[in-house]
Amino acid sequence: MGTRILSVEDDERIRTAVRMGLEDEGWTVDEAASGEAALEVFAERPTDVVLIDLMLPGMDGFAVCRAIRRASDVPILIVTARADTHDVVAGLEAGADDYVTKPFQPKELSARIRALLRRARPAAAGTSQLSFGDLEIVPDEGVVRRAGADIHLTKTEFRLLCELASVPGRVFSREQLLERVWGYDYFGDGRLVDVHVRRLRTKVEADPAAPRHVVTVRGLGYKLQA
Amino acid sequence: MAGRPEHEPEPGRAGAGSGQQARRLATPLGLRARVIMAFTMGALVLSALLAAVTYGLVGENLVRQREAVATDQAYLNARYLRDRLRSSGLQVASPLDSLETTGGGSPVLLREGVWFAPLGVGREDLPASLRDTVIGGEPARMRFPLDGQIQLAVGIPLPAVSSAYFEVTSFEELEGTLNSLGISLLAAALVTTIAGATLGASVSRRVLRPLSHVSAAAVAIAGGRLDTRVARIDDPDLGVLVTSFNEMAGALQERIERDARFASDVSHELRSPLTTMTASIQVMEGRRADMPPRAQAALDLLVADVARFSTLVEDLLEISRFDAGAARLDLDDVCISELVMHALAAASDAEVPLAIAADAVDAVVQADKRRLVRVIANLVGNAESHGGGATGVSVDRAGAGHVRIAVEDAGAGVDEEDRERIFDRFFRGAAAGSRGQGDGVGLGLALVHEHVALHGGRVWVEGRGDREGARFVVELPVSRQTASAPEPDPGPAAVPAVRS
Repeated sequence: MGTRILSVEDDERIRTAVRMGLEDEGWTVDEAASGEAALEVFAERPTDVVLIDLMLPGMDGFAVCRAIRRASDVPILIVTARADTHDVVAGLEAGADDYVTKPFQPKELSARIRALLRRARPAAAGTSQLSFGDLEIVPDEGVVRRAGADIHLTKTEFRLLCELASVPGRVFSREQLLERVWGYDYFGDGRLVDVHVRRLRTKVEADPAAPRHVVTVRGLGYKLQA
Repeated sequence: MAGRPEHEPEPGRAGAGSGQQARRLATPLGLRARVIMAFTMGALVLSALLAAVTYGLVGENLVRQREAVATDQAYLNARYLRDRLRSSGLQVASPLDSLETTGGGSPVLLREGVWFAPLGVGREDLPASLRDTVIGGEPARMRFPLDGQIQLAVGIPLPAVSSAYFEVTSFEELEGTLNSLGISLLAAALVTTIAGATLGASVSRRVLRPLSHVSAAAVAIAGGRLDTRVARIDDPDLGVLVTSFNEMAGALQERIERDARFASDVSHELRSPLTTMTASIQVMEGRRADMPPRAQAALDLLVADVARFSTLVEDLLEISRFDAGAARLDLDDVCISELVMHALAAASDAEVPLAIAADAVDAVVQADKRRLVRVIANLVGNAESHGGGATGVSVDRAGAGHVRIAVEDAGAGVDEEDRERIFDRFFRGAAAGSRGQGDGVGLGLALVHEHVALHGGRVWVEGRGDREGARFVVELPVSRQTASAPEPDPGPAAVPAVRS
């Protein structure tokens, strides 16, 4: 079955042009002109990636993000007007996995979508199970447990955790994580890593404010430890 | 090296004409100095006047008392002498001798044309007018100077014994008293004057404090911090100044922000059609092979100009954020050599030689990566549009605290007089006519300047010595040398490196 993308955009001309561009990549595109319509479409059809413009009339993009994230761990890509505003961080915190800024190059958009579509590649493939104190990771099954209980992670969060787990105790810089998890070259936005690490901590840490497993190494990056 | 200093806002550009200069020359003293001086002069004049009057009154009073005492004493002595002379006949020396001990005066006696002066003060010392008056039969009293000191001479005619008695009294001890009084008064006047000056300084400081606040706020506003306001003060006189200053600053801020918002809104609105255009163009590019040659040529034009249009909109939006004071740095520790390497690779299709000095390899700068990448891209882009392409990029240290990134080209160079203005918006120098493909829109270098200034660095352009071309230099402050950079990516098979 082919890849289905849900594109949420209120501007009809942009929506059409983007649909044509994505269809040229061989993907099937569902469209929604509002947040409410997007949630309906999302409930009806299986979707592989959601593309959401943050500036929507009525229910805004952040709310759509949160609503979809509550129901699913589908990769979400947000479209923002500016990279250097708080919108990006707010969108990521609402559950988005990555972002593009207008006016984006369609090539850039499809590269982002392809990165999100990549299966959660187990970085530590072959290892059946990794343990970090009370944290257990089973990369092949895509399962994470804390103190025996399953934790639900999004695909991006899981991939981030697996990358950190690939070499326990090693410090990964934001650039390295951007490249390995998001497929960015040098020019990725470090805030992606920061927000996702924050989100990951709320799930895998007993006390997210005092993380024991996903640790910040000042000026260097992040590492995973027992 | 003709370093280009940062664009400092020129303070008081509005009124800094020749008129102000002339006024400044005419009144070289500041308000504070004048207030202090007024207080000092006031205190000085008042205390000096008071001291003088006190000295005069007290001195006169003391002299009078002394005179009265001396006169009484002289009359006593005269009476005693008259009695003695009457009883003892011609024996003059013994009564005069016995006078020595009573009072502090020196007696002088004229008896039947003969002068007796047992204590050295004699006839010659007495003022002639006094002598004449007394010899004429009138008692008299007179102050006169003798040996540099004021003396009092009292003359009493003694007709009963055909004599005249004089007594000369020195004010020596009185002068000592007066001297110490004078010194005390002088000291008091001095203290008062100093107190006046201190008071003046304190008062002027208090009065001028709101003014200095206003002035500091004005400098801050001129420097771009438009939301600066002066704290309210209770003083009804100066409060007016503060209130109206704040109102003016508010109006100014509103206006500047409205202008900036307009530019921002316009560029923002342009993004939506641009998104449609770039997406549609790519759909067309995917079908390029199906197009007739003329349509292909038209598509090429469209692609190039939509790209240029995108850049213009981005640049306008960026610069409007600077104008609105809304430009925020997203700071990170950035290894500068790594950043230049990547930015250069992304900015230019051509292979541009990059020279990184050994001591600059691991220099770390606190920087907004996105902005610095734009700086490099714009400089390389500028070299491509106007200098025939960048011929070399170098990174090296400038002293301990700075790192320099230089982008060189082999074009026509930049004329001396344009080297400042080239960083102005929409500046078009001599190259304006030679704009061929029309890459730049004239905001690139202005943005370079803004980005670099935001990082606390500076940028300038210089010649390349005897060679043709220009060298654009960006200087940034280094936050630290040692790159505590993470170890290079070891790949999945690497041995785990554990750091404590």
